[in-house]
Parts: sequence; C-alpha cells; structure tokens
Amino acid sequence: MEQKDKLFKEIFDSNSKKIFHLCYGYTGDTDAANDLLQETFLKVWQNLDKFRNKSLISTWIYRIAVNTCLTYLRSEKRQAKDELTDNIIENKIEEFSEKNEQVALLYTCISKLEENDRLIITMVLDELPYHEIADISGISEGNLRVKIHRIKQKLTELYNQYASV
Amino acid sequence: MQAFDQIQELWQKHEVEVRFSADEMLQQAKKEVNGLKLKSALNILGMLVSFIAIAGVWLFYEYESWTTHAGFIIFLVAILSTTIILYRDYKLISRNDFTAHPKEFLQGLKTYQLNRYRLYNQMYWFYTTALSLGFIFTFIEILPRLNFFQQVLAVAVTFLWILFCSTLLRKAVMKREKERISLLIEKFERITGQISTPE
Repeated sequence: MEQKDKLFKEIFDSNSKKIFHLCYGYTGDTDAANDLLQETFLKVWQNLDKFRNKSLISTWIYRIAVNTCLTYLRSEKRQAKDELTDNIIENKIEEFSEKNEQVALLYTCISKLEENDRLIITMVLDELPYHEIADISGISEGNLRVKIHRIKQKLTELYNQYASV
Repeated sequence: MQAFDQIQELWQKHEVEVRFSADEMLQQAKKEVNGLKLKSALNILGMLVSFIAIAGVWLFYEYESWTTHAGFIIFLVAILSTTIILYRDYKLISRNDFTAHPKEFLQGLKTYQLNRYRLYNQMYWFYTTALSLGFIFTFIEILPRLNFFQQVLAVAVTFLWILFCSTLLRKAVMKREKERISLLIEKFERITGQISTPE
C-alpha cells in the first residue's frame, strides 16, 4: 500500500497540471476543472494495479480524463451546469480582463468548439504527440491529422473574429 | 491577425494552479464517506448512552410495581434491537474503502440507503410503539408520585416529543439523508462506471 501511495503521488505530481489544463480547457471553470481532476485521479488510483505499461502512463491518464470530461457534463445533475458553461466563461472574462484578456478570449473560443474538438485541441495545445492523441481519442492518426487541421483553423478563425470585436 | 502558433504560445504561457495535492485529493474523496460513517457511529453511540442511562435508572432506583419493570425492559429491548440494526448498517459502509474496493463499496452504500429507508419507515413505528408502551407502563407507578401539574407536564411533554420525532423530525432527517446518500451514490457510480479500457 505504501508503495502504491508513493507511486500515485509521483504520477499525480507529474501529470496533474496537464490534466487540470485539459479539464479547464474543456469546462472553462476552475471549480468544475478541479472536480474533474479529482474524479480522474480517483479512477487512476483505483485502477493503478491494472495498468500494464502497454502504453505510456500519461496516455492512459489522458484517456481516463477525456472519458471523465465527456461523461461529466452529460450526467443529469450536470446538465444545468452544462447550460451555464457559456455564462461561466463569460463571467470569467470579467475576472481575467485586467490580468489577461487574451487568455480569457482563448478559453471563450475553445468553449465554442464541439465537445470532442475541445478535448483534442487542448491536447494539441499542450503539444502531445499526434500518435498519443490518436490513441487517447480512439481515432486513426490519419483522420486525426485532418481533424486537427480543421479544429486549428476553426479556433484561429474564432480567435481572430472575437479579437477584432 | 493571430496564427495558431501564437495561440499555442498564449496557452502554454498561461500557468494553471492545481488546488490540491495527491494526499488532499484522496482525503477529500474519503471525507464525504467518512462524514456519513461518523454520523452513523454517533447515532449508535447515542443509542448506547441512552441504553446505559435507562438501565442505570432502572437498576439504581427501587420500583415496586411489575409494570415499571416491564416498561424498562421494553425500553431496553427496543433500544438494543435498534442499536443492533444501526450497527449492521454501519458495518455496511465501513467495511469497504471506496478507493480500494469501489464496486463492493457502492453496493454497500445502496443497501445502506435501502436499510435506512426501512429503518425510518417500518422500524421507526415499531420503535415508537415500543417506547410509548414503555412510557405507559412506567407512568402507572411513577405518575401517582407526582402532583397534578407535574403529571400533566410529564404526559404532555412525552406525547408531544414522540409526536414531533415521528412527524416533522423523522421526515426532515429522512429527506436530508436520502439526498446525501443519493448524491454519494451518483458520484461514485459516475466514477466507477466510466473506466472502460484501463490497460
């Protein structure tokens, strides 16, 4: 048990920031991102014994996080929150405005993307290798490249469109 | 006009801060369950204290009528049997750690919710009837020792207290507990049910 604790702490320390970034990019809300981060790592904790090193541990954790994010807002209790996501993000703009308007704008633009696209672009922005993103999202690498190209274009368009307003 | 590279640079420069450590995270998850466990344990402790107090009153004072002894025995049997049921329920949620055995824990939590519902319905009426019967038996000997005002006060307070516990308090506790356990079940079901392809 002690060894598991130690291993878990190491995994948490080396992956939590990236996973939080993914969750934050997906929800645009710090509290929700923290909830998702906690759920993700609880699952990691429970299933740590089952991890067989067939893939990188970070890929495995990302896959869990992506599943968690996708299911989180779909559960009945979260539906109301889901509808509020835009409002939350709009409110965040106020908080961000003095500090970093551009970052706030970026989160707003990410929130305008489709659910899956939001997760993929977050991983792209974090510079995960394409083969890992393909593995995590269950899309072939060829299809993924096309998809990423389209999402990048869409995000850049949205960003420039909002920035010019 | 910004290019994607600039957007990426902006994203990577934005520092995010994780609010908790690995320890805090696991503790937080256990805390909600521990709250439920603590409440259940306090409930049992309260029942045991009542049992000891009532047994003390029965043993350390002298009573002449058999009805008083019968009343105290009814009190003690009702309290003890309810305490045993409470203890069995407590074991349901305390024997499994969610972080170690999630499925067993979740099943235990569901059974616990069902048992609590039964406890606040069928079992509650058995408990209330037994206590009322106990009061009636003990009052036969005790009430004549009091003056009229004290008699009225003792009967009224006992009756109103039982009425309050059986109606308003019971419903409020039932509702609050049901919501609390349902939220826990929902959360743990979501956590347990989502892992599809761990390697």
